[in-house]
Order: sequence, then structure tokens, then C-alpha cells
Amino acid sequence: MIDVRVQSPVFDVGEEQRQLLAGRHDIGAVVTFTGLVRDFNERPDVQALSLEHYPGMTEAALHDIAAQATTRWPLDGIRIVHRVGRLSPSDPIVLVMVASAHRRAAFDACDFLMDYLKTRAPFWKKEHTASEAYWVSARDSDARDAARWEEA
Amino acid sequence: MSLTHLNARGEAHMVDVGDKAETQREAVASGRIVMRPETLALLAEGGLPKGDVLATARIAGIQAAKRTHELIPLCHALLLSKVSVDFRLDEAASCVHVESRCRLAGRTGVEMEALTAVSVACLTLYDMCKAVDKGMMIEGVRLEHKTGGKSGEWHRASEDVSTTRDVSEPPSVDSVAIRVKFLAELRERLDIEEVKVPVASLKSPDIASLKAALEAQDPRFAALSTARILCAVNHAMAHEDTSLSVGDEVAFFPPVTGG
Repeated sequence: MIDVRVQSPVFDVGEEQRQLLAGRHDIGAVVTFTGLVRDFNERPDVQALSLEHYPGMTEAALHDIAAQATTRWPLDGIRIVHRVGRLSPSDPIVLVMVASAHRRAAFDACDFLMDYLKTRAPFWKKEHTASEAYWVSARDSDARDAARWEEA
Repeated sequence: MSLTHLNARGEAHMVDVGDKAETQREAVASGRIVMRPETLALLAEGGLPKGDVLATARIAGIQAAKRTHELIPLCHALLLSKVSVDFRLDEAASCVHVESRCRLAGRTGVEMEALTAVSVACLTLYDMCKAVDKGMMIEGVRLEHKTGGKSGEWHRASEDVSTTRDVSEPPSVDSVAIRVKFLAELRERLDIEEVKVPVASLKSPDIASLKAALEAQDPRFAALSTARILCAVNHAMAHEDTSLSVGDEVAFFPPVTGG
């Protein structure tokens, strides 16, 4: 049901979806989010990104976020793959894939998972330009996005 | 037993080896450099900015062995018949094991050459990887065994059982301490990766007291009390009043920026 991985190799979106759906005939919708490395962010000339995480806690945090999604929506499967190490612009960095009987639950759960992943999972990005390397700052907009899901 | 590099007056001198018989000598030394798993992965993939790290470190180790006498004051210049430097990447322990073997037919041992080769190979690994990981640690540089010469054969296992434990085992957590880790930008800012704090040294066993104890130790740790720094205990998010006990792993880190 919940499959969470942290890895340095690239992932294959098609293969992940095949595995998620293998042997299932009750799933009506799969929503996939793929995050990519941009060449402009805090500086306009990002050449590479290195991603650090906190092994042990990362997997636990991703699993916990996925478990929360299953209590909010009727879901049939969740797959989260996050890459670490050194990445280049256009490389895929994160995959969140959600399967459900109907699309609305899958769309909303995928949106929720990304908002929570960005604000709760212990990953840190460092951007490298031709002349320097700096740690990326957390964005207030990400915190606001995550706050949308807080129950009243 | 006396120190052969000190003469009768306790002054440093180079030992006269002219009268010693030439024998086949060999020494093996080892060490390791511990790094973050991501750094090890980059090293394995050849993705580091300075290029082929292991090949460079191997040549550095071999060159260093040949020049040991220039570095260690009372060491003889030796005509080594063989120097090898080998690496083993250890994902479980997140480190690179370095082993050097030096051999010659001569009148003096080659332990210093083997140890120098390991040390310089480790330093070169550090240099080649430091752009992505400044917290790497060079550890456990030591002689494994030597053969030949007056003192004959020596093996670490027979000498010191306690240090022969498999280095790939995770280090045992201090029996009375809390492990405190610093991650990402915070680690670089404080220039420290991990400390151990005895539980008994805390006013009360919780995060607030841990921060106070660290700050008392070093004012730089005041950074931990700024609003943006987060804290986890045993991989779960924690607060000022989260309680601590022996063997716990505490981590301090800046706001997360994944995804």
C-alpha cells in the first residue's frame, strides 16, 4: 500500500506505475507528481544540486506522511521516491504517485503529500553555481501550502 | 624495552642500521575515512568535481610511501620493492577502508612507509571529496601486521583484541550518553557533525537542558536556540520539553527544503 524509497539513482516513472498497479483491477485513477531540478532558483545559473537527508528519520517521516494521507482519503496505493546526492538541472528529484478508485481523492492526496513532504521530510538542498554553493532557504509559501491541510 | 630513536642521553638520533642483516620485510597498515552516504555514493559513481578519486588517492599513497623519510625526521630512505594501496567502499559503515602493503629486502622495517601511505591516501580522499562533505573523519590509522627484522612477526590481533572488531559494525552508542547530530547547513556553520553528551551532565533529561549544556560548553551552540532550528529525538520531531534517556539520538537541523 505504502512504498517509500530514498535513493541516488534515477527512477523510471513508467516502471513505478507498473509496479503500483500490478495485479490490481479496482484502481480508477493514478495521479503522479514528478519534481525536477531547475536551472534557476535562488540564483539564475544553478549548475547542480546536492541533496542531503537524515537517514532513518527520512524514511520514517515519508511513511508517516503517507499514512496520514490514507486516513484522509480512500486510497489504494502510495509510492514516494526521493533522490539524494548530486543532481543536474532537468534531473527528476522526487516522485509522488497516488492510486485511488476515483480521481478527486488521488489529486488531493498527491497535492497534500507534496505539501507535507516539502515541509516535514528531512531533506536539505544545496545549490551549486559556477562560482559558489549555498544552502537553499525554506520558503514561507511552502509552509502556507502545508497549512491549507490543517484540520479546523 | 627502550625507544631506539633516543640515544643514551635521551636525544633523538637516527639508528645505525649498517650492521643489521638484510631481511625480507613487509608491513600492512590500514585506516578509514568516514563520510556521508551521499558522498560515498558520489565517489562510487565518479561524480565528484575533482575526478577519479580512488586512482588519485592510490598514486598519492604510493608516492607518499616513497618519500616517508622526508616527512618523518629519523626515518631512513628506503628502496621499497613494492607499495600497494587498496580501497574498499563500505556502504554499511559509510566509509572507505584504505589498506597499504609495503615490502623491501633491507635492514629496517617498513611500518612507517605503510602508515604514511594510508595517511596520505586518506588525506587525498578528503581533499578530493571536501567540496561536498567537510565533516569527513579519518579514523583508525594503524599497523595491521609486520614481518621480518629483529622483532620478527607482529599481528594486531595477538596484540590488542579490543581494536580488531570489524569496523563495518555500527559503533556502539556510549553507555551513558546521548548522541547529538548536527545536519546540513547547521553542521557546516558549527563545523561539527556529532557530539556525545552524558545524560548525567544535564540539569534535567530534556531538550531544553541539552541545549543549555551544549551552550555552556561552547557559545556557538547558542545557534540551536534560534527559532528556525528544528530538533528530532530518535527520528521523530521533538520540542523543548521532549524527554531524553541514555542511548537516544538527537538531531538539530535547519528547516527542511526537499521535494
